[in-house]
Amino acid sequence: MRLLKSIFSVFAIAVMLYSCQPKDYSNAISDGSYQFAAQNKLTEIIINDIFSPPVASRIYAYPAIAAYEVAVLDRSGEYQTLMGQLNDFEKTNFEIEENVYLPLASLAAYYKVGTALIFSEELMQEHKEKAFKELKSKGIPNDVFEASLALGERVADHVIAYSKKDNYHQSRSFPKYSISNDPNAWQPTPPMYMEGIEPHWNKIRPFVLEASDQFKSAPPTPFDTEKGSDFYREAEEVFNVVKNLTKEQSDIAYFWDCNPYKVNVKGHVMFAEKKITPGGHWMGIAAISSRTAKQDWKGAAETLAKTSIAVFDGFIACWDEKYRSVLIRPETYINKYIDEDWLPVLQTPPFPEYTSGHSVISNAASETLTSLFGDNFHFVDSTEVAFGLPVREFKSFRLAADEAAISRMYGGIHYMPAIVNGASKGKKVGEFLVNKIDTKAEKLAAK
Amino acid sequence: MYKYIITLVFFGLLSCSKKEEEVKLFSLLPSSQTGIDFKNDLVSTEEMNILEYLYFYNGGGVAVGDINNDGLVDIYFTSNQGENKLYLNKGNFQFEDITQSASVTGDGGWSTGVTMADVNGDGLLDIYVCQVGDYKGLSGRNKLYINNGDLTFTESAAAYGVDFMGFSTHALFFDYDQDGDLDLYLLNHSIKKPEVFTHADTKFNNQDEKGGDKLFKSLIAQGEQKMEEVTTEAGILSSSLGFGLGVGIGDVNGDGWIDIYVSNDFTEDDYLYINQANGTFKESLKEYISSTSRYSMGNDINDINNDGLPDIFTTDMLPEDPTIWMKSIGEDKQEVYDIKKKFGYGDQYVRNHLQLNQGNQRFAEIGLLTNTFATDWSWSPLIFDMDNDGYKDIHITNGIVKRPNDLDFVQYSQSPNPNLTEEEVYNRLIELLPTMKLSNYTFRNRGDLDFESVSAKWGLDQVSYSSGSAYADLNNDGALDLIINNINDQAFIYQNKSKEILGNNFIQIDLKSDQSNSFGIGAEVTVYAQGDKFHQMLSTSRGFQSGSSTTLTFGLGKREKVDSVLVRWNAFEHEVFYENTINEKHLLKKGEGKVYVPRILEKENVFTVVDIGIDWTHEENLEFDDMRREYLIPRKYSTEGPALAVGDVNNDGLEDIYLGEAKGQASALYLQKSDGTFSRQENSFFEMLSPAEDVVAEFADFDGDGYMDLYVGSGGNENPQGHVFNFDRLYLNDGKGNLKFSPNSLPPLGENTSSIAIHDVNGDGAPDIFVTTSVVTGNYGAKPYSYLLINDGKGNFKDETRKYFGDSFHPGMIQKGAWIDVDGDQKKELVLIGEWTAVQVYKQNQKGTFEQIIIDEKAGLFNAVSSFEDKGEEIILLGNLGENSKLKASVVKPLWLYHHDFDSNEQEDPLIFHYMGAQLVPFASRDDLIKQIPSVKKKHASYVEYAQIKKPEDLFDTKILDKASKHKVENLQSGLLIKNKSGDYDFNPFPKEGQFAPIKDFYTWEKDGIRHILAVGGFYGFRNDLGRADAMPMAHFIYKDGQVYFQQMNIDFNQIKGEYRALKTITIQGKLHLLAVRNNAKPVILSVN
Repeated sequence: MRLLKSIFSVFAIAVMLYSCQPKDYSNAISDGSYQFAAQNKLTEIIINDIFSPPVASRIYAYPAIAAYEVAVLDRSGEYQTLMGQLNDFEKTNFEIEENVYLPLASLAAYYKVGTALIFSEELMQEHKEKAFKELKSKGIPNDVFEASLALGERVADHVIAYSKKDNYHQSRSFPKYSISNDPNAWQPTPPMYMEGIEPHWNKIRPFVLEASDQFKSAPPTPFDTEKGSDFYREAEEVFNVVKNLTKEQSDIAYFWDCNPYKVNVKGHVMFAEKKITPGGHWMGIAAISSRTAKQDWKGAAETLAKTSIAVFDGFIACWDEKYRSVLIRPETYINKYIDEDWLPVLQTPPFPEYTSGHSVISNAASETLTSLFGDNFHFVDSTEVAFGLPVREFKSFRLAADEAAISRMYGGIHYMPAIVNGASKGKKVGEFLVNKIDTKAEKLAAK
Repeated sequence: MYKYIITLVFFGLLSCSKKEEEVKLFSLLPSSQTGIDFKNDLVSTEEMNILEYLYFYNGGGVAVGDINNDGLVDIYFTSNQGENKLYLNKGNFQFEDITQSASVTGDGGWSTGVTMADVNGDGLLDIYVCQVGDYKGLSGRNKLYINNGDLTFTESAAAYGVDFMGFSTHALFFDYDQDGDLDLYLLNHSIKKPEVFTHADTKFNNQDEKGGDKLFKSLIAQGEQKMEEVTTEAGILSSSLGFGLGVGIGDVNGDGWIDIYVSNDFTEDDYLYINQANGTFKESLKEYISSTSRYSMGNDINDINNDGLPDIFTTDMLPEDPTIWMKSIGEDKQEVYDIKKKFGYGDQYVRNHLQLNQGNQRFAEIGLLTNTFATDWSWSPLIFDMDNDGYKDIHITNGIVKRPNDLDFVQYSQSPNPNLTEEEVYNRLIELLPTMKLSNYTFRNRGDLDFESVSAKWGLDQVSYSSGSAYADLNNDGALDLIINNINDQAFIYQNKSKEILGNNFIQIDLKSDQSNSFGIGAEVTVYAQGDKFHQMLSTSRGFQSGSSTTLTFGLGKREKVDSVLVRWNAFEHEVFYENTINEKHLLKKGEGKVYVPRILEKENVFTVVDIGIDWTHEENLEFDDMRREYLIPRKYSTEGPALAVGDVNNDGLEDIYLGEAKGQASALYLQKSDGTFSRQENSFFEMLSPAEDVVAEFADFDGDGYMDLYVGSGGNENPQGHVFNFDRLYLNDGKGNLKFSPNSLPPLGENTSSIAIHDVNGDGAPDIFVTTSVVTGNYGAKPYSYLLINDGKGNFKDETRKYFGDSFHPGMIQKGAWIDVDGDQKKELVLIGEWTAVQVYKQNQKGTFEQIIIDEKAGLFNAVSSFEDKGEEIILLGNLGENSKLKASVVKPLWLYHHDFDSNEQEDPLIFHYMGAQLVPFASRDDLIKQIPSVKKKHASYVEYAQIKKPEDLFDTKILDKASKHKVENLQSGLLIKNKSGDYDFNPFPKEGQFAPIKDFYTWEKDGIRHILAVGGFYGFRNDLGRADAMPMAHFIYKDGQVYFQQMNIDFNQIKGEYRALKTITIQGKLHLLAVRNNAKPVILSVN
């Protein structure tokens, strides 16, 4: 068989030599560009299909893991598999044909897993075909292409099988959230009064956390409607911050809004304005950082995989608390007890207040990125340009995470404890991940 | 000669085919003939458009009236951006534009509603024009054009104190305080963000200067030519919650004082102001009306069923066409609906509402029953007799230039584009808003609450963006012509040709009062003709922003004679006129008729609500919501209680009452005392077993000791099958009247019990029990386990279903079981009725086992079964869903339930398909379906794709559908099964008045040779896109010779409203009483007179 194959290869090469000079395609994919482009497309589709932030985090994670698992197969042995490291991610061996072009296999795995998790499959297919066509034009021979795609598929299938057991599918038919009549309980907010999304997200299997409540937050400030009480003062703080909002604070609030489904209402006219999810924003930062650090395709795959895992587990930890404390949003509280006509700067998202999702996932992501790129890593965040917002520069991931966290106060949608305690929860998730997961081979060996 | 014949034949054919076209009742007259080329042209600009002003596309109005008293009705149109127009009727459908010479242009303001009325009492119609002012470049004030009598007018709004500047929609002139002059109700609308809810109670304090409604009292009767505002002191709400789009008058409670109905757009409830006869009003909507249109637009008040009582029609925006319906915003999602209720708002549904006046200070809403509920984005409803057949028809205008309720627009129109400025984004938005012209709707009233959609048939199907509309007899032929104001199109002038085509008779009435309200606005006129009565109140404000003429036209059909005409000028002055020449117009002058003093008829009541001293209220555990768990179920099963049993527990010869509570509350036993009062007997078991939800109960002597024992069935759709608190329970009587829980008497099955049917199946003298079950917890559409319990004689029961019914016995979702001698062989059969199933009859054969026999094949959504004997034959009563529902079913177009785990996620999904037109489409909206089955989004990426579904195969592959279990419903009427001559059963539906709501239970009795049937029903737990069914809590019928006749009950509605679950009889002090229990409310006891 091998002989036959070799003969065939020789023959093929001969033909190619005869027809034209063979192109060196080894650098067809050198860095993360193709994966970033695919991730951007995924972002677009997530927005179009209206996936909520927690669900979006799942859509980013599995494809990134699949792409990374192909990078692990590289002969350099630089990277270590996540199989056996992530919860329930079973080990398996992938047969690797000699002529496989791993960067392409990695990209193929990414596309396949990504396509499996969304609704608008044809948009992803279209994007993939365009990328593949471009790659083909760079001289990747047909047999290499096929073998690479086949490997990508095999890895993708393993990851898809893994994804199917995370309880997501079952959770689609779990009971919807029932609104509580308690005065401290979260109530749906204007203008759409949407029901609480993903009330059972803590039942989704995390990648690294041992349990969704592993880093349980301190309970929120006891609810009180009494003027001067701690809780009242926290609401008053939001009220006052919004009242005296500076231009800089307002810019920060809008920059980090990341509301995937904001509905504008004008009389009978309503229209949904859709933006990137907060997880998507941090995946964008991960890509920008990888590019800034000039990582090769494997490093890029590692960055995206780890960041997406941090964001994914961050959402689980955060949502666990949200539906434990089921806390009233500032908008509801202020309208009821302070000012009937008050409106927040940002539209209040449709889930309980405590803790702030931005604070948790931004810190989980920033800890992870800091572990990869170091603390004083300067980057220019252009993630929101596509949504009509300017770029913002940051001296470090942690500073960016701090800003993302406090932006929710400026936006009038969170009290201070949700931000502070959310940030610390996110840091713990990030730290735990960084310590638990080893992607670099030497580190694992050293253990 | 030969040639001549051929020509004749040819012409005959030609005229025949031509006649086909000409046969239409209405003919749209061209402007070249009428001279009316008015158009309400709207130009959307950056400064003024639908995003800047929410009612940019509401359009204009039209008022008609004879301004120069020449016997010809003239027309005034309002324009938003152009000049209003006054057209003088020159006869023969020719009009002259006299706007400029009459000085009634509107001065360039944004005009909305227009009303004609004799404001100053000089016998000439004046014109009041509403405008939008002081808003984004609009600066108009409302105008009062006082008629100078020479075809000119003098604008005098300021002089009269009614030059309001703000957001006026319409004006209505009427004499609310009956001092003889015309007062003014000014309907305004708010512009405050309607999407942010504030508590409904804020309407009582909040005052919106420019957007709140106003009431002005005329001081003419007091000697001053002006009006003064009396809004607050008269009890009129004037808050920024009100988005007033329609105002109408009628005497809804029959006290002679004029009441007001206001339709409000958005979240605020509509208002029904009951005139307190002392210069004030009391907003009383919730006492009279259970639900209203949500986005209420225009309204009209008139008597639709010729019972002399004013009925109310309000318009909304629900599309009829399934391809539009399925991609348009429908009802609020359940959770949003619940929130609005928490904010204190009432039940509102996105559909037209037809409120039928019941005469007992209550309306029954029957828009769904009459199929008048979906007419797309509708504005002006007019209730008038369009063909003069004696039944008032309904005409509804519709049309919106830009359709904001398009879900693809809402969800998918915006893609992020960083290169656009905010203004460009808004411009693009407006451009993207879909636009579609549709035809207006016409419903012909065929009597008996039966309506036929006839726009095309009657020639009224031109597509348009229509707004205000009015009717008047423009050519004095006795038939009412129709005038419609259109956006961007010439106004429609429809000539009514019914006089020529149908030749129906009519009578027209003009009124002349002796006071400054010279045309007698607000007077009620009833024409009596050959045993029928035809009723109208004169109002010059109707529909939307419009007003009809001061002449009242009554169609008489083929009736050749009018007996008398009764005019009720006000609460105290009634006159009868005998000017009864038909096909003529009569001027009835106050003081020239015969004074009439109405006799107060003592109505004979069959029933009286009595208090027997039982202070008990069923308390439903409403925090459990089935729909949170099963997103697609059509209704709740968690509100099936209370349970009710009647029996003599302590052997004192007096019947006692068991009332079974919902989860969390202890049930109660009330013992009857000799004086007819009741005392509660404590029972510690009831307390202990309060976590179980009691839904049915029966007394019987199960252990043969001569004392009544009690069987209690549990349900609730909350606990899983086999759960301990789903077990039914048997309480054995200790012989002293104490009921003791006997835990081992029943097998531990734990289904959702729906009824128990007691019968000695094996002939051993001990009562056996057939237990029916309604639903599998958490799995609507699956078949629960109904079973037969055989009694060992000592009150120990064993499940012997298989032995008696075989292995393949799966009767389905059963609501009730009863033992009835169906075939007349003196042996009882088991009759099972339920949902998605036909009546099932099981006959015991020689071997003692049961075999099914078929008596009626049409499946329904049955809730109740009962029977009585008539001339030796059993008549079977069937309580069904009724016809007042969005769900419709017939043999040709059945309703379907497909039950299957469509997305293999270990939860079975119930999908209901219903026919809309010729298409079998999912009842669930795309949003609801996606919540249950996310993969639907993959196949139907947009709403417009979803709206293309025409059959179940368009939703799922045939392979998947083949695996689904499918159930159909072919009949939703309640009625009776009665044996025909060949011995088979025929289904005979109850009259329309018996189809207003689901019937949950019956009781029938014979008294003085008359067979009475009392049905109780109502059900609030439907998903809100079906809406609560509350139009018929009780219905009384009389049965005679195979026919069922509806009887008015004459009971104060507020004493009997609610959702009933069971009806039983109890004898108190030797007298027959009916005991009816309601969910989440007190029981109702009726003494039968």
